Amino acid sequence: MTSFLVSEALRDLRRTGRVGVSAILLIALSLAALGGFWLLSLNLGRAIGQWRDRVRVVVYLREEPPAAKVDDLLGRIEALGGIQRVRYVSKNEALQLLRRSLGGQADVADQLPRNPLPASVEVTPDSDRATPEGTRELVRRLTALPEVEDVQGGAQWVEGLAHFQRLFQLVGLGVGAVLALAAILTVTTATTLVLHLRRDEMEIMRLVGAAESVIRLPRLLQGMAQGMVAGTLALAVLEAAFALAAPRLEPLLPVTLGLQRAVFLSFPQMLGLIGGGAALGAIGGLLATRQTPA
Amino acid sequence: MIRLQGVSKVFGDGRSRVPALVDITFSVEPGDFVVLHGASGAGKTTLLRMLYRAERPSEGEIEVAGFDLSTLRRREIPQLRRSIGIVFQDAKLLAGRTVFDNVAFVLRVLGTPRREITPLAFAALKAVGLSARAQAHPHQLSQGEAQRASLARAIVKAPPLLIADEPTGNLDDDMAAEILEVIKDIGRQGTTVLFATHQAKLVGQLERRTLRLERGVLVKDEG
Repeated sequence: MTSFLVSEALRDLRRTGRVGVSAILLIALSLAALGGFWLLSLNLGRAIGQWRDRVRVVVYLREEPPAAKVDDLLGRIEALGGIQRVRYVSKNEALQLLRRSLGGQADVADQLPRNPLPASVEVTPDSDRATPEGTRELVRRLTALPEVEDVQGGAQWVEGLAHFQRLFQLVGLGVGAVLALAAILTVTTATTLVLHLRRDEMEIMRLVGAAESVIRLPRLLQGMAQGMVAGTLALAVLEAAFALAAPRLEPLLPVTLGLQRAVFLSFPQMLGLIGGGAALGAIGGLLATRQTPA
Repeated sequence: MIRLQGVSKVFGDGRSRVPALVDITFSVEPGDFVVLHGASGAGKTTLLRMLYRAERPSEGEIEVAGFDLSTLRRREIPQLRRSIGIVFQDAKLLAGRTVFDNVAFVLRVLGTPRREITPLAFAALKAVGLSARAQAHPHQLSQGEAQRASLARAIVKAPPLLIADEPTGNLDDDMAAEILEVIKDIGRQGTTVLFATHQAKLVGQLERRTLRLERGVLVKDEG
């Protein structure tokens, strides 16, 4: 029975002709659009994840503590909780860092009558606390320490980017949904066409007592097959576009997104895309069979 | 095998109300060969369609092959139809398939094991005298051969009841006589046959119990 259902579905697929090809192309287009947004969002998400790890809060101290009291201060800061790492930067080290960052003009720093830079502590929050709310709370606690003059830094800009990523995903889903709807309607049309071509067969099937599932299942399988072909096609288009674009974009990635290289969809994500195509096709096939009376 | 009790069928409602069958009562025992005779529009096809639940009666009770059609649920209709072989005036063969495939198609859609399909399909073709034309396509057949193929398709699942709705209506006298012989043979094997025709001449040739319908009313049950 399975071989009968599959062979009937393939036979139907061949009969859909141009409408069937249009359905496949439309599903492929919607999946490629969805996949494209997914791919960009995936890499943006990786960048945001990295930036969250790099969120720093800098605690400027009123006075440079004696070397013996530095560990005690760092211990008290760590005890505030939600902190991944702390690093003490003495006045001297801060000046060295300034010199290094000035490069060829480092001698400007030597002109200073005294070292104006304060000692500080670089605090790296836990990645799950690297949110605007989390860092605000950390800054509030750090400011309360008696040794602290000022606290700077936060995760607002990272969150702004995360907000952009969510917006980006939403736009991707919106565009994908519109295209998916068009694809479903095309599959429905293609399947309805097959149903008209096969109305004699279906009449005979009903008269001899074939179960409704046997009559309708090939249409569902036909839609799924169209969707899977389209999903594979979309994936091939995405891979080709990625292979073309990635080598050209990768030199820009470290300076823009802070990523060493762009990544493509993982194997489960690729399967998800093909499965999405199969689902779109199945919905189209199902809608068409529901329109036909039993 | 068939029992109708006070069956009426009305199409439309209000002013467009058309009574197609009026208070029909009769029964057919297993193995019987019964002729349903009436002019075109007398209600023969409507009556037959109700037997395989393509129509529902407006009133009355119908029982076919052990199925009470007044309580039959939609999902049980396929089970009823597996007990009935149906042939029409038009052979309704599937154009893209050979005679063998047309017959085997029934077995395939009913989930018959693959190894049983070929012998069963050939046995049905042999029963109607069409084994030699198994690989022909419908357009290569004469009308008589097409009707034989249609009969083979109807009996391939060995139904206890055969409904024949004007199967000789499109045929000349010789071909009609051939088809009639094939149907009589099927009846002799023990299949209950309900044979509908408007041709009085055939009724005379058959010499079987005849139900005569006139304008939806059963006016005669004799033989």
